[in-house]
Amino acid sequence: MKIACWLLIALFPAVAQELKLPPGIDKLADKATETVDVTMDQSLLQLASRFLSDKNPDEARAKKLVAGLKGVYVKSFEFEHPGEYDQSDVSMIRAQLKPPVWQRIVGVRSRKDGENAEVFLASDGNSVTGLAVICADPKELTIVHIVGQIKPEDLRDLGGNFGIPKFEIGANHKSDSKEE
Amino acid sequence: MDDLERQLKNALSRKQAPDWFEAKVLAAAARETKVPAAFWQRLMAGTRLRMASAVLASAAVLASGLAWQHERAVRERAEGEAAKAQLQLALKVTRVKLHKIEQKLDQMERN
Repeated sequence: MKIACWLLIALFPAVAQELKLPPGIDKLADKATETVDVTMDQSLLQLASRFLSDKNPDEARAKKLVAGLKGVYVKSFEFEHPGEYDQSDVSMIRAQLKPPVWQRIVGVRSRKDGENAEVFLASDGNSVTGLAVICADPKELTIVHIVGQIKPEDLRDLGGNFGIPKFEIGANHKSDSKEE
Repeated sequence: MDDLERQLKNALSRKQAPDWFEAKVLAAAARETKVPAAFWQRLMAGTRLRMASAVLASAAVLASGLAWQHERAVRERAEGEAAKAQLQLALKVTRVKLHKIEQKLDQMERN
């Protein structure tokens, strides 16, 4: 029983940071004008990594980043008209990105454009173990979920560090939430 | 001279073979055909056949192995290149979105 409890505790962060997407989300591809759907588990990432060149700086950076990753999942839909996806789908995803595993580090909401973007980081207390990005614009929905060890410099390589010089994951973590 | 001619004529004249000669020749011929091939000759003949078969089989196995390996390498390369393209697309989408969020933050801070 004790062993089972310890096992449960040990597995909790990994299980907790799994992101379940709404069952009907793939059907959005039928309405979307452009769709990006990438699902890569660790074995596929390792295979891809073998084909990334060390000589090309971009590929070398990607290779370094991928070394610590266990999965990369991206779903992005662009629509012709606003309001073609269900806000409850976004809420369902957002509801899973909760402390203690997930911390929202950035939230941007523009009332003018109706744009809504959030960045979440998962941590095991010492290091970043996952990244989730939700961009819910009127005519676009993008969900990015990266599982695995992500160093701050990797995040910087990915697109920016949001003005946070060093990630400090935990209770005192600073959340940058802005509204326009 | 006449003596020499006579001697030659005698020497080259057709003579009837003795009665026992035919039987002796036939017996010798029969004996020769019945002699079995030496053991090593049989062994070598078999070994050569086996060796030829083994060489052919090895060549076939090697050829099919090389073809399989080549096909596998081609398939693996195609899968790897596809995975790399998928990864690059995923990272590009992530990069674009994060960059856009950061730009939005900067813009809000300036305002």
